[in-house]
Amino acid sequence: MNEVCITAAQTVTGLGTGVQALFDGMMAGNSAVAPVQRFGTARYISPNACCVPGLTADEDSLLYPLLERLLDGFPAVPADCRLLLASTKGPVDLMERLQRGEAVDPAQLTMERVLSWVGERCGTSGPALNVNAACASSTLALARAAQMIALGRCEAALVVCLDLVSEFVFSGFSALQALSPTRCRPFDKNRDGLTLGEGGAALLLMSRERARREGRPVLGVVAGWGAANDATHITAPARDACGLIQTVRQALSRAALTTDAIAAVSAHGTATQYNDQMELTALRALFPGRTLPVHSVKGAIGHTLGAAGGIEAALGLKCLEAGVLPPTVGLIEPDPEGVGFVSDAAQDIRGDYLLSTNSGFGGVNAAVILSRGDA
Amino acid sequence: MKAYLNGIGWVTGTGCGMGSHGGDQVFANRPLPALARRDVFAEPNQRFGRMSDYAKLGLAALAFALRDAGLEAWSEKRPFGVVAGTRLGCLATDLDYQRTVLLEGGGLASPNLFAYTLANCFLGDAAIQFGLTGSLLAVNETGSAGLGAIAMALDQLALKEEPVVLAGVCDLAPPEPLASVAEFLPGAAFLVLAEAPGPRCYGSVTVAADGGIACNGTSVGSMAQLIDAALKHNGISQQAENTEEGTTC
Repeated sequence: MNEVCITAAQTVTGLGTGVQALFDGMMAGNSAVAPVQRFGTARYISPNACCVPGLTADEDSLLYPLLERLLDGFPAVPADCRLLLASTKGPVDLMERLQRGEAVDPAQLTMERVLSWVGERCGTSGPALNVNAACASSTLALARAAQMIALGRCEAALVVCLDLVSEFVFSGFSALQALSPTRCRPFDKNRDGLTLGEGGAALLLMSRERARREGRPVLGVVAGWGAANDATHITAPARDACGLIQTVRQALSRAALTTDAIAAVSAHGTATQYNDQMELTALRALFPGRTLPVHSVKGAIGHTLGAAGGIEAALGLKCLEAGVLPPTVGLIEPDPEGVGFVSDAAQDIRGDYLLSTNSGFGGVNAAVILSRGDA
Repeated sequence: MKAYLNGIGWVTGTGCGMGSHGGDQVFANRPLPALARRDVFAEPNQRFGRMSDYAKLGLAALAFALRDAGLEAWSEKRPFGVVAGTRLGCLATDLDYQRTVLLEGGGLASPNLFAYTLANCFLGDAAIQFGLTGSLLAVNETGSAGLGAIAMALDQLALKEEPVVLAGVCDLAPPEPLASVAEFLPGAAFLVLAEAPGPRCYGSVTVAADGGIACNGTSVGSMAQLIDAALKHNGISQQAENTEEGTTC
């Protein structure tokens, strides 16, 4: 098996461009939650989301200026690199415009077009695919990229994760009564729903040997990964957390680690009643009797759907490097089950491994274990 | 990596089918059958009627594939994975849902329809229906006609992630705005790939170093070719049971 290294990471979120901006913003307790200007919210249960400031597009999807920001300044990508995208809805804004009767080329609605655009922009020539596993899309894309490198199918893989705030998705979560009327409070005793966000992440993975040969910095290592389905409900998680527990155990097994090695957790933490309860149940089962730094980014940048896991992995590398896990922005009074895990203050990371997890519609759960790099 | 091909199921323009029943040409340029619960499941299934057409199509093809492999019945959840390749995913459902958003400023948006606006939604239904607890995901590919999903499934088997992975394709006919720009044969077809041969094994599927897929030693360029190679290997294709109508199961 080849060791899988992450040699470059970039993010765009409501807190700005770059992983450092995200890290600094979260350490300062900042939040990008603000009233949505992009569409009317009068009939929805929340007026708020975390949009990327200044994102505009005349004729095309907002995805492309988002991608330009994400890839501008990103290190050169090898031509033989495999490309994996992770997006749940892709250019959904174009579909909205088409349905409103505006002139939109229907061919622009497909994920194939986004894949081709990113491939041309980055100069990759091989086969490419978009992973769609709901809110675990980018974590699964990372896992599959790591899988390909581990098996020697390729030496390098670029994972690009992205999703937009759209009325399409906003209306759906509103109809499901899943939006917080104000701002999401992950793992809070009085949490009342999620806040949507948008953003992107790009991560360049390489085998250790390829990274060494090209003189690339190693920001971190994908030590393990796992994925499992609850097989319980389409939109709600399994209350006993069976899928997430199985997922984490798989990731630990792949990394040849025990739970004792995990020094911090980047949780999904959407701030819906059921998701956060499920995650706390899993953490109590996996780490019995332990205190452990756990956080969620959703109160700071919103739930970025298919991009969430990629952004959280990029941030996780920075956290390991800094030895500190930023606060859970939005948290006021922890859920009793979360005491000893989550905090509204930054927490020190005393160890080498960070566990990052996501769960989503369709009962999906995915996890990666990241270890500190040597950059 | 070599995997055993233990079951094949499909719902295409030729109707509903399984490898053991044969079929000369699985994909055809004909309308897909309008699936009813009784076409797929003998027992009542309260969920099926509420699913989107895309979800029904994918779930039905998975059901036939598992049935063909003798794996449809279960008593305990199983760590089986699924990788579903799709060109357009649930775009038809998206368009239907968006029409509900346009009414009353979004106040009439349908929560049930929204739950089916993800390309992987039918995999959640399959997980519940068949007790599948592995890694279940959908992938949009560029021009490899479902073989990227097969390659990913073979990788999962190679890493011992799961003992059984179903892989295939699922696409409705392109909805009206895309009818002229997305040209492919609609339908869903899934293969049951496993690390050990099952009672009805159609041979093997392998992935080469360059990512190319072969079935029983024959290189294939699409799911249709892969299924054809599997059925020919077992001498099944000449016993085809296709009907000319092709629009009913």
